[in-house]
This record gives sequence, C-alpha cells and structure tokens, in this order.
Amino acid sequence: MKPASFDYAPVETLGAALSALSAQGAKPLAGGQSLAPTMNLRLVRPRVLVDVKALPGMREVTETAAGLRLGAAVTHAEIEDGAVPDVTCGFMAHVARGIAYRAVRNRGTIGGSLCHADPAADWPSCMVALGATMIAAGPGGERRIAARDWMRAPFVTALAPGEMLLAVEIPRLPPGSRWGYAKINRKVGEFASALGIALPGVMVAGAIEAPPALLHAIEGIPPLAAVAVTRAVAMRDA
Amino acid sequence: MIALTVNGEERRLDTPARTHLADALRDGCGLTGTHIGCEQGVCGACTVLVDGKPARSCLLYAHEAAGKPVTTIEGLDDDPVAEALRAAFSRHHALQCGYCTPGMMVTARDIVLRLGAVDEARIREELAGNLCRCTGYRGIVRAIAEVAANRPAAPAAAPRREAPKVAAPAQAPAPAVELPNRIEHRETLSVPLPAAWAILSDPAKVAACLPGAVLTRHEGALLEGRFTASLGPISASFAGQGEWACGEHAGSVRGRGRDGANAAEGMVEFSLSPAAQGSVLDVVLSWRLTGPLAQFSRPALLRGLVAGLADQFARNLERSARGEAPAKRLSIWALIRAWLTRR
Repeated sequence: MKPASFDYAPVETLGAALSALSAQGAKPLAGGQSLAPTMNLRLVRPRVLVDVKALPGMREVTETAAGLRLGAAVTHAEIEDGAVPDVTCGFMAHVARGIAYRAVRNRGTIGGSLCHADPAADWPSCMVALGATMIAAGPGGERRIAARDWMRAPFVTALAPGEMLLAVEIPRLPPGSRWGYAKINRKVGEFASALGIALPGVMVAGAIEAPPALLHAIEGIPPLAAVAVTRAVAMRDA
Repeated sequence: MIALTVNGEERRLDTPARTHLADALRDGCGLTGTHIGCEQGVCGACTVLVDGKPARSCLLYAHEAAGKPVTTIEGLDDDPVAEALRAAFSRHHALQCGYCTPGMMVTARDIVLRLGAVDEARIREELAGNLCRCTGYRGIVRAIAEVAANRPAAPAAAPRREAPKVAAPAQAPAPAVELPNRIEHRETLSVPLPAAWAILSDPAKVAACLPGAVLTRHEGALLEGRFTASLGPISASFAGQGEWACGEHAGSVRGRGRDGANAAEGMVEFSLSPAAQGSVLDVVLSWRLTGPLAQFSRPALLRGLVAGLADQFARNLERSARGEAPAKRLSIWALIRAWLTRR
C-alpha cells in the first residue's frame, strides 16, 4: 500500500526540530525502517515527518573511559561492521547482525529502534541489560532516562510529547566479559518471538509482549522467553 | 521539486512527499527494473543502492533520497561483479519468473563485495531478506557462492557464537477454535454481584463503561456501534454490528466490523460470579483479524491492550454502580499502569 499524505520537513538544527515536533501530528523520522512499513500499511498517519537524521550530533560517536555515547542516528550496520568502537566485548556487533536484513540495517538506526519501542526489537532489551542511558531533548532542555524506565508499554516510551532522542550512553563492559544472546524467531530477520540476554550478573527477557524484564531467576516469564534466557545463560557460561 | 541522482544522471521530479523511492524510480524515472513486492520491507524485490549501500526503496521516501547517489539494476550493466553474477545466475538457473531477481542481484553483489569468499550458510543468512516466490533458492545460492569463491575472503571475522539449543518446556497444544486468537482475563470487582449484573446485562451501560466503545443502535439482540483502540502511534476504529445474548449472570456478544482495509470478527463471552468481597468477572475474548493490521500485529501485543481495557472497564463499572460517571477517555496511562502491574 501507499502511505497517506504527509509533509516532509528535513531539519538542520535542534531548535528547528523541536519547533517542528511541537506541531499536532508531527513525528520524527530517522532511518524509517520501522516507521515506513507502518505508514505504508496506513496504520500510522503522521501529518508531518520531521527528518532528524542530519541534525548535528545525531551521528556522533564519543568513546570515554566509562563507555560509549552513540548518536541516535548511528545505523545497525555501522555497529555490525565495527565502524563504532566496541565497548561491549563484541555483544552489540553480534546483536546488530541479527536485526532484520542488511538492506534494513544500512538505514535503520539505534535511536529509531528505541523510539519505536517494539517489544520484539533487539535494542530496547539490550539497552536494559547493558544499563544504558537515553539522552533526550525537549523544549525544557536535555534530560537523561535510564533504559529500564524507557519503554513504558509496547510502542510507548518515556519521551514526553515534543521530546526526541539525541543519543544513547552505553557503559563499558569489563574487558573479557562473557555474554550470551538468544533470539528465537521463525526465520532470520523476522521479529523475535522471544529474546534472552545474559551479561555478567544480568539476565533479561525480551519480546515478552511487554517492556523487557530484568530477571533475578528464570521464572514468571512466558515459556519461550524462559527458553531464550536459558540458552543465553548457557552461551555466556559455556 | 526534488533532484535525484540515479545511475549517475540527475533527474528532477515533482512528486509528493508520500512517494517512496521505488515508485519515483519506476513511475518518475521510467526505470522499471526495480520491482515492488510487499511495500513493507520484507520481500527485498525493491532493493537498490543508496549511497552505495543496499536499501529498501519502498522504505525510503523519494524526498529523503534527494542529493544521494541511487543505483538501480539498470545502473549495474557495466559493473564487473554484477556481470559475473549475471553469468553465474544464468549458469545455475538462478531465476525463474525473474520478479525477485533485481533485488537478488543487488543483495548478491553486496554479499560478494562485503564478505568475499563465504560459505553457503552465511549466504543463506544474508539472503534472508530477499524472497523468491518461485522458491528457486538453490540456484541463487550456488550462483553467489561461485562468484564469491573467486574473491579473497573478508578479513577473518571470529566465528559467530550461537546460543546452544535447550529443550522447550512442554506446553499443552492449543485447542482448535473457529476464531484463532483467544485471550482469557479475570477482573475482581469491588461491587456485589446484583449491582454489577445490573450494568453488565445492559449493552448501553456496558458500552458506557468500555473506553473507546460507542453504541449507536440497540434493538433486541442487534447492536451497532464503533470501537476505537490505540497501541502507541497505531490506532484503529472498527465500525460494525453484533448480536447480544444474555443468560443467568453470563452473556456474549458476537460481532464483526471494518476499519478501512482491516476486518475483524470477534466474540466476547463474560460471566459473573460472587466473591467474598464483591464479585469476579471472567472475560474470554476470541477474534480473527484480516488486513494490514493483521499483517503487522502480533496477537501477543493485543494481550496487554486487552488487559488494560479490562482494567479500565472494571473500574468504570465500579464507578457506575456507585452512581458516578465513568471515565470515558481511553487513557494510555491506565494501559501503562495495567502493563506495569500485571507481572
């Protein structure tokens, strides 16, 4: 299908972006790899698409002793290819390679995926496991949101109306850290039916019809998620 | 007016913002080598190069591509890798109807250039985003493997670690039902059974308590109305008809409705039983959904929506039984609260 009519508004400054996003029916566009399918199916009909991917800082990558700050418009393919520094002992590159398909990963962005907040997507669960922090900007300035407070419900984030995501801060895993990742889906690249993540001292179940769950034990989650987390733990501890 | 650079040539197009790149290439530039399949990023037939990298031209609006080099299958005529792939595709019978071929070629070229000599398993993984409706994958994989084998292997990447297989916990098989999706939900009501039943047995009062529901006609067993629900940015408003049946502290509504191309058929069965403090409402919702919404949505996501709606319905019913006006607006925060508290 073709999308409903909308206005396309590319913006070059944060001020212009926030002003455009304050309009009724405005929606930010980054890679569009989740948004465009829903628009083409006419499930989402924004009045204005505010293209934020060329804003200053959106593709900036900064490595510090504490970790890595990734601009929201860094693509999955860039993470897959190691074009950004690795602070997670290969974990994020491994995850990125399993997201959708290469043609989608070339355009899809980490920030867009987090803002779309599909529970079956990879990054929202990974950010909870890594203890990442979202950097959001709005009319009131910047604020920091912990990953575990990010997804409020499927497709709903902690962003207030008019706010947008600028960057993600990912804490560095200790060198040599072991991790496990299990994504259960019907076919490579499809939406996950269950996600299991095991990092040092951390277990997360994702794609559980709800925001990702930090676990103390493998219990109280759907059976398939329990399988995914069990596999992830076995992979970490192998 | 936008300026596209397609296969090295500048093309000026007057096209609305909603035109995706695939349509702009086919209709605006006359380059019909780019094929359109699903228009939702799944089939890969429309894959072209944008900035030299494969991209879905259905998931990229033409205005976004302005100023970026775009290469279509027509632009790969003189490309040496594409030439080798064409010959290999021909040798290995890697196309039947040819519909997927332009997208396959663009993806195959990317596999060869980016990964070099790779094994068949990796080729199949990389091809997962390109569907061949003739299912002729064997020939396609062999053709790519042959061309890739003549190239140096990419810098040795560490072998990809895989999570080990573990046995799934045993689950009872789902019962065969006429309506394929089913959710059971229980709500505890703070009002006694007679007061709750006085509301539940009246469709008008039920509609008044159910956020998003509007009852426009109620004659005997026949109901007509509209139901609107939202999940994040996605919202659907179904208008339709139903039949109402009511027994001893139990009843059902069976209905069908449409929202544009989406069609839904569903049944709500409810029963009320007494409890020490108030009463207990059991609801079974079963439904079938067809159209774009069904293509997109995973039924699992609706479980949360239903839980949120049931919670709001129950609180509204309690308010109504106490003679207060129900909160009619579908509050996303109430849905979120239901999500957060249900585990």
